[in-house]
Amino acid sequence: MKEGFRQAMAWLHTWTGLIFGWLLFAIFLSGTLSYFKEEISHWAQPEVRSHALDPLASLGLAQRYLEANAGHSASWMIRLPSEREAALSVGWRDPEGGRRGFVRKSLDAQSGQPVEARDSRGGDFFYRFHFELQMPYPWGRWLSTFCAFIMLLGLVTGIITHKKIFKEFFTFRPGKGQRSWLDGHNAIGVLVLPFHLMISYSSLVLFMYMVMPAGILASYGGNTNGYFNDLFGRDEVPKVANVATPLVPLERLYAKVQEQVPGARIGFIQVQNPGDLNARVTFTQSAADHVAYKRSASWTFDGATGALLKQGAPESAAMMTSFSFAGLHMGNYAGPWLRWLYFVFGVAGTAVIGTGLVMWLGKRQLKHAKSERIPGELRLVEVLNIASMGGLLLAVAAFFWANRLLPVGLEGRADWEINSFFLLWALSLLHAVLRPGRRAWGEQLGLGALAFALLPLLNALTTGQGLDHSLAVGDWAMAGFDLTALGTGVFLAWAAAKMLRAPKPVAKRTPRATKATVEGVEVNGC
Amino acid sequence: MLSIALMGFAGFAALCLAMEKHFSDLLGRKPGRGQLRSLRLAGWLLLLVSLVLSVHQRGWAHGLVEWVAVLMAGVTLWVFGLPYQPRLLLGLAALSLVLGPLLAVFAG
Amino acid sequence: MKRTAAGLPLSYRLAVISRSLAALLGGYLLASMVSVCVALLAPMPQVDATLTGLLLSFVFYLLAFIWCFACRSAWRAWLGVLLPSLVLAMVNGLAYWMKNP
Repeated sequence: MKEGFRQAMAWLHTWTGLIFGWLLFAIFLSGTLSYFKEEISHWAQPEVRSHALDPLASLGLAQRYLEANAGHSASWMIRLPSEREAALSVGWRDPEGGRRGFVRKSLDAQSGQPVEARDSRGGDFFYRFHFELQMPYPWGRWLSTFCAFIMLLGLVTGIITHKKIFKEFFTFRPGKGQRSWLDGHNAIGVLVLPFHLMISYSSLVLFMYMVMPAGILASYGGNTNGYFNDLFGRDEVPKVANVATPLVPLERLYAKVQEQVPGARIGFIQVQNPGDLNARVTFTQSAADHVAYKRSASWTFDGATGALLKQGAPESAAMMTSFSFAGLHMGNYAGPWLRWLYFVFGVAGTAVIGTGLVMWLGKRQLKHAKSERIPGELRLVEVLNIASMGGLLLAVAAFFWANRLLPVGLEGRADWEINSFFLLWALSLLHAVLRPGRRAWGEQLGLGALAFALLPLLNALTTGQGLDHSLAVGDWAMAGFDLTALGTGVFLAWAAAKMLRAPKPVAKRTPRATKATVEGVEVNGC
Repeated sequence: MLSIALMGFAGFAALCLAMEKHFSDLLGRKPGRGQLRSLRLAGWLLLLVSLVLSVHQRGWAHGLVEWVAVLMAGVTLWVFGLPYQPRLLLGLAALSLVLGPLLAVFAG
Repeated sequence: MKRTAAGLPLSYRLAVISRSLAALLGGYLLASMVSVCVALLAPMPQVDATLTGLLLSFVFYLLAFIWCFACRSAWRAWLGVLLPSLVLAMVNGLAYWMKNP
């Protein structure tokens, strides 16, 4: 039965991997990009100037702006600039304004005036796409969460199937065709397994309240808000007293928080009932300061008197577990080198999926190597492989090209950047249908190589903030983006060259290759 | 953190060499008696020490996370670099074995 | 699972669909029943019990999936997820009734 079990798990691994692989590739790629979403946004909106951090000054500017422009609102939000985010963000509840009744503005951290920057979603586009998949709420979240479950299933079935997981722990044999693809797939799977497992399981934790509501409903009945209030330790916000009382200067409250936790970075500040007797101000410590989300790292003050009313309640073990998973997934706590590692591991996860898709097809193509045409189903897989991987990379490049080329004053240009992304993706699908497999790969990867490699030049020509400038002034986010684009271009050029070169003759290799794949996958004929 | 990364790298290199196939492929000779066992012991010891050091330096949360991260990075570099530059990596492993503990003691 | 010249037999395809449904739907039911059970019966504060139930549910969804494709027949797949779900449902019902008389 042991053989049967492994075989069954290999079958499950292979088929769920194929069906969900294309979508998972996109989810992983966009998630990987999201670790640098602030840096991407910085590149996408070069008009936003960075200034030396001065939280007290920024707080004062934010308060003055909100008092002047959002005095009527019942709820304000302030996000201070950080090492990674140059702008001072403010927002307020306004049922008539903004998206979903909430207005957001980016202010220059030095002048306190709204930033005049090109309209762009920047890194946030990839972040949102990562878990919403451009689908209407809440369907995208359901689909992406289900994909996360399939990824977890893929990892577990992969582990079960990989008979020589310890023996071949350090094994990678390049230059051996299908054997090498399998070695590579296994290696980046196993060597980075803690990350892959954490990322997949934590994705489920992030939306578990939505996808698995039974426990909440059974325990809290109709009062699901009670669950969230218990979880986050929220108290009822007092009703508006309708007694006009000036809001205490927020800098004073900031200083009080620093007394409690010297050196704490502040994530965001929320003001309820500003300008009223019953005003409440809550300071929440930056997610950059702890691995786990900490509900205890928040302080609520009386907005009229400035008295500290309460600190967030300490977390239970269950909460620490769940909040740790959330924090690990988001990676907000990661400093520069660890953030780059997150990016590298994200690329590794993307590559696990990509190599799997390539192997699924490659193994079956070997069987049809002699015949003229490959069967329809395999051709479909080939087209989807090319479009979902090569095409997706092209689409990402297109987004950035659109960002630089679309006129700054164009109405709805943020949406047009996104349209460019999907348009290129759709065109790549068409291209993959019309061209033979290997050529399609080569052409898309080649175009992608050009598109990415030329981005730094495009940047320099259109904004004057190219590498010559960014390296000179120490704008590492801008320079990092350009250099990463360049590196991506070089990698894609190498991949394209491999594809466009004539493939090695299959005939002599077939007997050895088939034997190797049979040994490697331990499953016959699936 | 660099010292921890180096020790972790050396540890994984040792565990790799502790496998007969890799030992003979990389060092070009058959392992002597007990050599594999010593390598295995050294490998695990290096990994353990790097963990203890990481937690000591950065606390449980950051320490644990960063330890896993640098170890994954190091072993990936080892495995994918090995077919192409085995001697370079063996040299790096030897260097890490010396530099890792040194950095930990004097700069940590 | 060898391919025949004429493609896979219908009975095989139906069995795969059946197992898939057992895993997807039956597995979800089982996972939900587990999370309710833990939420209602775990000896912790209400919010922690609910949270733990949520965290554990996915493990059981995973196990259900593995069972549905590892067991010998599609019938066993359904049995393997529905029977425990039924038992848990009864336990949950009792626990719920005791908490909310």
